[in-house]
Amino acid sequence: MTLLEVPAPPRAAGPTTPAAVTIPWWRRVARAAPPYLFLAPGLALLVVWTYRPLVSTVRLSFLSWNLLPTSPARPVGLDNFARLFALPDFGAAIGRTAVLILGLLPFTLVVPVAVGLLARRVRGRAATVYQAMVFAPMLVAPVAGAAVWQWMLDPRAGLVNRVLGTTTNWLQEPASAQLAVIVVTGWHVLGFATLVVAAGLAGIDSEYSAAASLDGATRWQATRWLTLPLLSPTLSFLSLMTLLLAAQWSFPLVNTVTHGGPSGATTNIYFLLWDYAFGSFDAGLGAAAGLVFFLGFGLVALVLVRLTERLSFHDS
Amino acid sequence: MTPELLAPSHVEVPVPVHAPSDGAVVLREPRLRAVLGHVVLGLLGIACVVPLYWLYATSLRAPENIYSLTPFPWPLSVENYAEAWGAVNLPRLLVNTLVMATMVGLGQLLTGLLAGYAFAAWTFRFQNALYLVFIATWLVPFQVTMVPNYALLSELGVLNTIAGAIIPNLCTALAVIMLRTHVRSIPRELLEAARMDGRTAWSTLWTVVVPNLGPALAALGVLLFINAWNEYFWPALVLQRTNDVLQLALHSFIGPEGTQWGPLMATAGLACLPVLILYLVLQRRIVDGFVRSGLR
Repeated sequence: MTLLEVPAPPRAAGPTTPAAVTIPWWRRVARAAPPYLFLAPGLALLVVWTYRPLVSTVRLSFLSWNLLPTSPARPVGLDNFARLFALPDFGAAIGRTAVLILGLLPFTLVVPVAVGLLARRVRGRAATVYQAMVFAPMLVAPVAGAAVWQWMLDPRAGLVNRVLGTTTNWLQEPASAQLAVIVVTGWHVLGFATLVVAAGLAGIDSEYSAAASLDGATRWQATRWLTLPLLSPTLSFLSLMTLLLAAQWSFPLVNTVTHGGPSGATTNIYFLLWDYAFGSFDAGLGAAAGLVFFLGFGLVALVLVRLTERLSFHDS
Repeated sequence: MTPELLAPSHVEVPVPVHAPSDGAVVLREPRLRAVLGHVVLGLLGIACVVPLYWLYATSLRAPENIYSLTPFPWPLSVENYAEAWGAVNLPRLLVNTLVMATMVGLGQLLTGLLAGYAFAAWTFRFQNALYLVFIATWLVPFQVTMVPNYALLSELGVLNTIAGAIIPNLCTALAVIMLRTHVRSIPRELLEAARMDGRTAWSTLWTVVVPNLGPALAALGVLLFINAWNEYFWPALVLQRTNDVLQLALHSFIGPEGTQWGPLMATAGLACLPVLILYLVLQRRIVDGFVRSGLR
């Protein structure tokens, strides 16, 4: 930089700029303002539509209310939380959500990485066609996807049973219903995860691999010691997304097809919240559960982020 | 590039696989690898597409053949589509869904662009905390916010209107995260140069940043549009009385006296068709725009 007489760019001028003594306050404010102004629309929307409701949820969790405007809400202290932890449904739903998250990890990590690595060996049009096929389910509306899978899993006329020669009533038996939810949800999110991995792989400089192979590394060694470590930020992003959103992704399917059943086998935490609010009209209990999940997920996410920050390689 | 990163690759492999002296390996091995790649990717691709194919195959069968298992529906019949057309007001549903998805997609793109620009081009107080405010929305599920938001929309008098389905969804963390990465990838010198030219931050955004992000913005915009098009639960709550978007209309074919699979598949097929066409036409650009971002 040779143009030293140019005034400091706004990014260097925080409110604590040392030059503050000579600059009148309104100019300092004006100089510091732009980033906040650019953030304002998004922040305002989040405050109104995400954080304000979150605060009302906190308030609601200490009340007993059946969602009817005419009936008064009654303060009950920590009663909702006590009831919540005493409910057997609650622990069971958390356990099922953990199974769901673990079941989805192959679809959001293992298969996308395999596809991304294999796609580098297959060149030209074919690779584009395969990618397009893997991405396609991502475009299907969740409800339409749920409808067609329900049709394919139909015990008598469904494609799956007729092809496999089985008579399983997939969506009505507890073990297979959970499996079906995992597979259908995995089918749906696979395309997105593959896209993210492809983006991550494209961001890795191919010169590293070239250098490694000059140094005598085999392809597998280059993949294991170079590509995967450099891909770790992408992989941690995907694990975080899976952890936080798995139950959300499966929600349309659970809500429209299995309704949490059979005998609660597919009731994950978000369906439980839905059920507390609109099934049993217990707004206080629903709010308490929502709050517990929010804090729990926040804690787990924080740990995961810290962990990956320590473990990831960064290409800088 | 740190030296210890390369270190593991120095281990005991004396001869590079691609050594030009080893002609046979160079020729045969890549081909074998390519075959393996074709087989695995091909099978996976087919597995992914089968449900989609079955959706359209079922929708095109004659009603009396609906339980048929032949891979190709024959004779082709549009009777299911005719029945769906009679049961729900498809043109109205299509227009409503289009308006909702376009507005939500554009809104999310705009708020994401402004916020992403702010995060990438400046260093300011509370930057990390504010970024966290965006990311943390992933921790707040829709089921936690739905009751208070429903009450607010009711006070605003936009229940059962398309506006009610749009307004709460105008900002998404995904757009902010991705556009922050995109703006960061623009050479810093370009932004500095614009400032030295005396341009305001606002005009820099539109004359320097946006033109440089063209493909990425288009790709993200399409992705957000698709997400909004496929959105189900918020419209389901807001439009309870009117059921005015495609995803909700699907439910009119699932009744207590049994599901009408034919018309259901026809409507589901129509609900997916615009998105599939959009994707097929723009596939290269969407994937490129996304991939080039090097989202990390």
